Amino acid sequence: MTSAFWQRFLVPGALWLLFFFLVPFVIAVLISLGENNEFGGVTYGWHPEHYADALDPLFAPVLLRSVGYAAATAALCLLIGYPTAYCIARYGGRRRNLLIAAIIAPFLINYLVRTYAWVALLADEGLVNSVASSSIQFLNTPWAVIGGLVYGYLGFMILPIYASLERMDPALIEAGKDLYGTPRQTFWHVTWPQTLPGVLAGTVLVFLPAVGDFVSAQLLGGPDTYMVGNLIQQQFFGADNWPFGSALTIVLMAFLGLFIFFYLRGAGSRERREALI
Amino acid sequence: MRRREFLLGALGALAAGGCGVGPQSAPKPVSQPVTRPKIDGDLLIFNWTEYMNPQVIRRFEKRYGVTVTVSNFDSMPGMMAKLRAGNRYDLIFPTADYVARLNRQNALRPIDRAALENADGIYPFFDNPWYDKDSAHTVPYGMYTTGIAWRVDKVGELTGSWNDLTTEAARGHTFMLDDFQEAIGQANLLNGFELNTTAPEELEQTKETLQRQKEYLRGYSTNPAPNLVNGSAWIHHAWNGDVVNARNQSKQPENLRFQTCSEGIPVGSDCMAIPANARHPGTATLFIDWMLDPEIASANVSWFGYPMPVTGSEEAFAKLAANDPEIQITTDDLANGQQFRELDVEGKKAWDRVWIEVKA
Repeated sequence: MTSAFWQRFLVPGALWLLFFFLVPFVIAVLISLGENNEFGGVTYGWHPEHYADALDPLFAPVLLRSVGYAAATAALCLLIGYPTAYCIARYGGRRRNLLIAAIIAPFLINYLVRTYAWVALLADEGLVNSVASSSIQFLNTPWAVIGGLVYGYLGFMILPIYASLERMDPALIEAGKDLYGTPRQTFWHVTWPQTLPGVLAGTVLVFLPAVGDFVSAQLLGGPDTYMVGNLIQQQFFGADNWPFGSALTIVLMAFLGLFIFFYLRGAGSRERREALI
Repeated sequence: MRRREFLLGALGALAAGGCGVGPQSAPKPVSQPVTRPKIDGDLLIFNWTEYMNPQVIRRFEKRYGVTVTVSNFDSMPGMMAKLRAGNRYDLIFPTADYVARLNRQNALRPIDRAALENADGIYPFFDNPWYDKDSAHTVPYGMYTTGIAWRVDKVGELTGSWNDLTTEAARGHTFMLDDFQEAIGQANLLNGFELNTTAPEELEQTKETLQRQKEYLRGYSTNPAPNLVNGSAWIHHAWNGDVVNARNQSKQPENLRFQTCSEGIPVGSDCMAIPANARHPGTATLFIDWMLDPEIASANVSWFGYPMPVTGSEEAFAKLAANDPEIQITTDDLANGQQFRELDVEGKKAWDRVWIEVKA
């Protein structure tokens, strides 16, 4: 086969990127440079001042808060997701696929609806508090927001870790033990490095959507849990200011792009990066 | 070869579609045909959530043998964004200030009152409202006021003032409407300003009021009914219909109360309107007529909790308001109360800024 033949298989992926990334991105940039008109629509033009507004120090705490929540979310997802993926991959036996399907099942229901379900369950006089005859305030706290994010994005951590665990040759673990490694040593020197690409992928897949999330903070948050996603959503559907909302989006993208670039560069060898990409 | 053609076609379609995503140039005036109330297809309604009795819709479907689909928005800008994107609905429910805006864009079809059987029941107050000359494009739907809903079992009696949003006993159990207009509006009234003030020094003071109120809040929300019923909220900045809604969901409806506030009462009304690009304006017109039928209007009022300006539906609302007259709103209130108006561009910016500074 010639390489020209194989290059054709790049077409679907390239089209996907073109239609669902590049074109919307260009539209967002155009809107961000436009001007709000009387009807809440956008008149295209050259108005870079929206970017100056977007870099207002007023938004720094909002951004830091979002990054903090997302980092905590990624860490918690890793703590919960790794053991889960490990158990399924090593001990799931022939029920593996069923267990993975069970992990994916909640995603069949809309995230917003599932978050509303948490409100009903965890409210002060909700199901949990009435069954336990307690009056614990779960909702409208930063913990509730992080909890909602962990719940929403855990699957994105489990799946790549599971994939890298399943790809791993079990003989490597046996070899580690044959070399007198304790289970702990074997894990840290054999299994963990082998699954690091999965961990990195999972962390990025959880962190990115969590930073921009607005549902969790809106429904489970309190007065001081305003995230950058809420700010952007407010510009589109509250303030009716699409250019400013788009400028905020582009600035956030640039920031996250840099963040991920350095994360991946710092996180490991070239192979790991390739495995990720 | 064919693949390339397909690609170009797809790109072209995408570029064309892309232009529809939000940006729109000024509309050109068009004369729109008047529509008869006659079935011309299924109906697609675009409305707030829980803002119409589903039973009323089912009955319409059965009577006329059509399918009615209801789609929801959660804010006026959200509704506008969908309309701008070219989505085609048969019937929409804009608030008065947005009717004014839609009319300037010629985005609404004329509705001929003479063609409606039940149009005589509409209160004359709405014959020529400020937002729609001669009511040529709209039929009024709900009338609402904003106040404070609360759990009397948790905090006892309130004082009838906007200051009740900072009740010490409900610290950490108070919610403010997550709506910049309503939030800034109540703080303006509390400070003795005009509801729609855009004066910088007044807005500065309003911002400080909102920041002080924030210390008492558990959150910002536009769902007062569930928050009150599930116990998270003891005091909730709310619309009058919310408390009716909450009572319908609660096991102890007597614990739920509503007050309007002495410093000023924001009032408003919204409408039924048919977008210019509606697919089935005939069915939509017929449906509007159906909603104006006193019996149907009564069934709707009892369910959604807001009075409709339709003769014959008063009794249904009087039943709801029997034990708390504060949820009542009349056309006198609309004439005397304070209504949110469209702000000019600079004023709107100043309000947005206040809201961001409070919430960030």
